[in-house]
Amino acid sequence: MSATASQGISIHPPHIHDWRSTSRVTWLCGISLVPVVAWSAALYGWPAITVWLASVAAAVLSQLAVDALRHRLSLADGSAVLTGLLVATAMPPGIAPHVPAAASAFAVIIVKGVFGGQGSNWMNPALGGIAFAYANWPGAMREFIMPRMLSGVDGLSASTPLAFAKDLASSGSARIMDTIHQAGYPVSALDTSVTNVLNGSLFEHLGARLPDGYVDILLGFRPGALGESALFLVLLGSVFLLSLRLIKAEIPVAMLVVFALLSKLFGTGLPGEAVYGGDALFALGGGGVLIVAFYMATDPVTSPASRFLALFYGALIGTLSYLFRRWGGHPEGVAYAVLIANVVMPTLERRVDPLFRGLARRRPA
Amino acid sequence: MGRAPGQEGTSERMSSAKSFKYGGVELTQRRHYDHEPLENAFLPINAYIPLRELDQEAKIIVTEGMEVREGQLLARGEAKGSANVHSSVPGYVRRIIRTDGERPACVVVALAGSFSILGKRPERYLWKSLNRADFIHIVQEKGLVQTSTGRPLHELLHACHDGDGQTLVLNALEMDPCRRTEEAVLVSRLPDVLDALAMLQKILKPASVTIAVDQSFPQDEKATLERQAAERGASVAVFKRRFPQDMPVLIDRALRPEGAAGAPSFVVEPTTAVALHDAVVANKAHVEVYVHVGGGAVKAPRVLKARLGTPIGELIEECGGLTGKPDRVVLNDALRGPLASSLDVPVGKTTRAVLALTREETRSARELPCVHCGACVKVCPEGLRPYMIQKLAASGRAAEAEAEGLSRCILCGACSYVCWSRIPLVRNFQIFMSQGKL
Repeated sequence: MSATASQGISIHPPHIHDWRSTSRVTWLCGISLVPVVAWSAALYGWPAITVWLASVAAAVLSQLAVDALRHRLSLADGSAVLTGLLVATAMPPGIAPHVPAAASAFAVIIVKGVFGGQGSNWMNPALGGIAFAYANWPGAMREFIMPRMLSGVDGLSASTPLAFAKDLASSGSARIMDTIHQAGYPVSALDTSVTNVLNGSLFEHLGARLPDGYVDILLGFRPGALGESALFLVLLGSVFLLSLRLIKAEIPVAMLVVFALLSKLFGTGLPGEAVYGGDALFALGGGGVLIVAFYMATDPVTSPASRFLALFYGALIGTLSYLFRRWGGHPEGVAYAVLIANVVMPTLERRVDPLFRGLARRRPA
Repeated sequence: MGRAPGQEGTSERMSSAKSFKYGGVELTQRRHYDHEPLENAFLPINAYIPLRELDQEAKIIVTEGMEVREGQLLARGEAKGSANVHSSVPGYVRRIIRTDGERPACVVVALAGSFSILGKRPERYLWKSLNRADFIHIVQEKGLVQTSTGRPLHELLHACHDGDGQTLVLNALEMDPCRRTEEAVLVSRLPDVLDALAMLQKILKPASVTIAVDQSFPQDEKATLERQAAERGASVAVFKRRFPQDMPVLIDRALRPEGAAGAPSFVVEPTTAVALHDAVVANKAHVEVYVHVGGGAVKAPRVLKARLGTPIGELIEECGGLTGKPDRVVLNDALRGPLASSLDVPVGKTTRAVLALTREETRSARELPCVHCGACVKVCPEGLRPYMIQKLAASGRAAEAEAEGLSRCILCGACSYVCWSRIPLVRNFQIFMSQGKL
């Protein structure tokens, strides 16, 4: 029965395996992004579709080129497609297709291929590609358009709520959302009605009020990168990934909790905030925090293998993201936070993880 | 008889069930199996009787063409680690196959003539008057082998002394989701198994006797088992279905009070116990083997009582044959057992299962580089970092691999089972260990 041995499949025990395999997990991650792709296509039309296509096609072609040099076909493991999809999530719709294509090619060839292919890269390929795009096309990467579903026309330029808020001078209102809407930021009719219903039926009884605009953020009825255009679908995807245990829950949980807490306590640096009253919800809703937390920070290759260290790693990313967001120049600082955590991770794993394990698993010899 | 992919889970969660502290894999899904009386397999036309279970071969004392009776000594286990080998069928020695690399040497006995012992009603030997030395003599004479390890049983018994204060454990745990040999033997031959435990009590004088079963053990049988065990001063311990709980070292750890020292438990399986019973009571040599012929690719899986040396292909035929081309055929244990090199491989004393596994069961895939997913860290019952050991040892950093705990690895196979990239970690660790300093 050793006919299978020739195909690179081990003939040694164990002969049965857990259903998760590297390629299956990678493909499932990719599949969980399909609703996001579909929703952004519905929102923006062709400007979104071309970006997804350019990014994925460039990633696949680059992988083929790398494979040709290494004489080993590895497209089937799905990592090239996933990298292409993840690179596209950070792209604004309507960006020239060469930007996502170049970013994907950089991710697959330079960040992953050169270091020895899947499993050997020390930096998340997608984030590497995204950082590459931000460095080379800083203007194009920050030019957003209104969703066609709202404006009715393709390519009407606009700014994201986060960028808009950063440019505002303080006006003294208690909530960022109120501030930016007073300053003329649009709100969709759907948002207004849903928010009214929520306020009337639920929040009023709790003595709270939800300002207009959060439903827009969740549904993508505002300008933003492709991955932000459907936060509710990103959340749905994360439920899928977590329930199948394809990603370590510790990383996004630690990251988001730390990030939200710091934002709440020390403010987001945006106008109109009381001390200890930062708008954590607004902070989580922008700059790609959620998609980075669930899809990129959790990349197994560049995140810690053990769960104790994963908490530490997530908290580190949360802290750095907050610092970069609060005092950094760009709203997308969260991407750099993960890249820095990627770089220190091997050292943490070598030096810090044994200490955690020593505490947690001491056993008489 | 569940040949369809119908599976049963553990319906109840017993909070009192024993287990180990860290890691492990919940393998609660098991292939369904109805307890039917164990059937005798057909006799092989030619029995390929292997001369060794471990490294040491028994010394052949027959010649080609010689007529042999059933149960007649074919080879004597002289060296340490080898046990006597007897003929499983009456007939004549057709051929003696010398060792050819991987496969052990074997004596081919062609079936002929009449049955002297095994076909007849067993005589009931009154064993209660025997002492330790008598028992060990019988065990050695009849070539008994521990079915889980292949080590000669008399050597194991010799190594234990009176008053060690050890626990005698009957290990009916099978964490392999495909195999149910021990459970079937324990249920259908319960009185004989308990008699064998009583014999072992006479030999070892253990401080206590425990019967280890898992949570999915059938409830009706469990009540019977508990009642009969209690009559003989043995207790029944329920364990969680959590791989690799069936390893003796982990059973011992679970039964031992926190921090208690003492000799390690003496662990035997029901299949070893019935072999002991049959040797003492019915004067049978170790020539009968209980084999679970199963796996998704077998039409009618069941537990057969087969003769030593029966080719596994004949057992599969007897179970209705294969439903299609299996992904692989495995001996003993889907998680730790070896691959069967062909369907001509004969049944040995340690063969407890022949599993023809389908692609859905194996979920095999091409070996890929480690992606650092951490699944191995999560399941390691020793709290090690298998991926790190693999990385260090594979790059020749022996001292660092040792510092990561390579020598603390109990080779359970949990990490290799869950490995996303299908890296045969345990196999690699065995190689690293045998290379010593690398």
